[in-house]
Amino acid sequence: MQLLLYGVLLTFVVFAALAVAFLRDILSAIIAFAGFSFGVAIVYILLRAPDVALTEAAVGAGVTTVLFLLAIVRTVRPGGDRLFERVAWGPAIIATGLVGVLLTTVRSLPTIGDPTSPVATSEITRYYLENAYPQTEVENVVTAILAAYRGFDTLGEAAVVLAAGLAVLVVLRKEVYV
Amino acid sequence: MIDLLTTHYNYVASILLFGIGLYVVMGSPNLVKKIIGMNIFQVGIFLFFVTTGYVDGGAPPVVGHGEETFVSPLPHVLILTAIVVGVSLTAVALALVIRIYDGYGSLDEDVIKEVQVDD
Repeated sequence: MQLLLYGVLLTFVVFAALAVAFLRDILSAIIAFAGFSFGVAIVYILLRAPDVALTEAAVGAGVTTVLFLLAIVRTVRPGGDRLFERVAWGPAIIATGLVGVLLTTVRSLPTIGDPTSPVATSEITRYYLENAYPQTEVENVVTAILAAYRGFDTLGEAAVVLAAGLAVLVVLRKEVYV
Repeated sequence: MIDLLTTHYNYVASILLFGIGLYVVMGSPNLVKKIIGMNIFQVGIFLFFVTTGYVDGGAPPVVGHGEETFVSPLPHVLILTAIVVGVSLTAVALALVIRIYDGYGSLDEDVIKEVQVDD
């Protein structure tokens, strides 16, 4: 049952990505990308990562889509009647080569959900799960790590967002707002 | 090869997303679509990371409600940070694309190259 659900969702995700790749109209591609992000968010829920799923749905499918729409409003959409783009054979061969090479390495990864995998048995994982609540009194371990143990990392992230916001204003010559 | 689809399905999907993302970045002439391709590649990496933390029968990492096994919280934290940084990257890239459009009047890579040669 679980496997069937993954099968349906991952097929949807991959086909949505292919739609993004071959749809000629940018607006259609952006809408396909929003659907793709929502599909991935549901996969994250199946992987028991609700925080990541919420962020992906709000930021990946929401904010990113709005940014793309704002960008195409200020630029141009390619004209023409064709629904799909022509296949660019050179890049297609290179991408297929990359997929082929990486697929040969998949077999050496631990199976999905294996409780003896290096990540699941790692000292760090065990430490956070055992000590996060006694040390921080936050039940959600993801929040505890994000805001307490790795607080400086999150501060750096906030600095990146600030820098990006300033960069957008400067690039678009809106320095008056800075 | 087929057995990988039943045991490593998410890894196979994220590798396919790498391929599609690389194809869009390299093959699409449109600059906005190149940035969408970059986002697809990123999502492939996110999916790979979150999958590594999954444990069969594990609960979401919220402790104190009686569950015994949890999925690993660390990949989730790293990916939360990465998603936000990815959006910042997209915003700056799109701002640059808008300026390129203002300067060249086109988003098509080949047209921009021609205009550069003419200058």
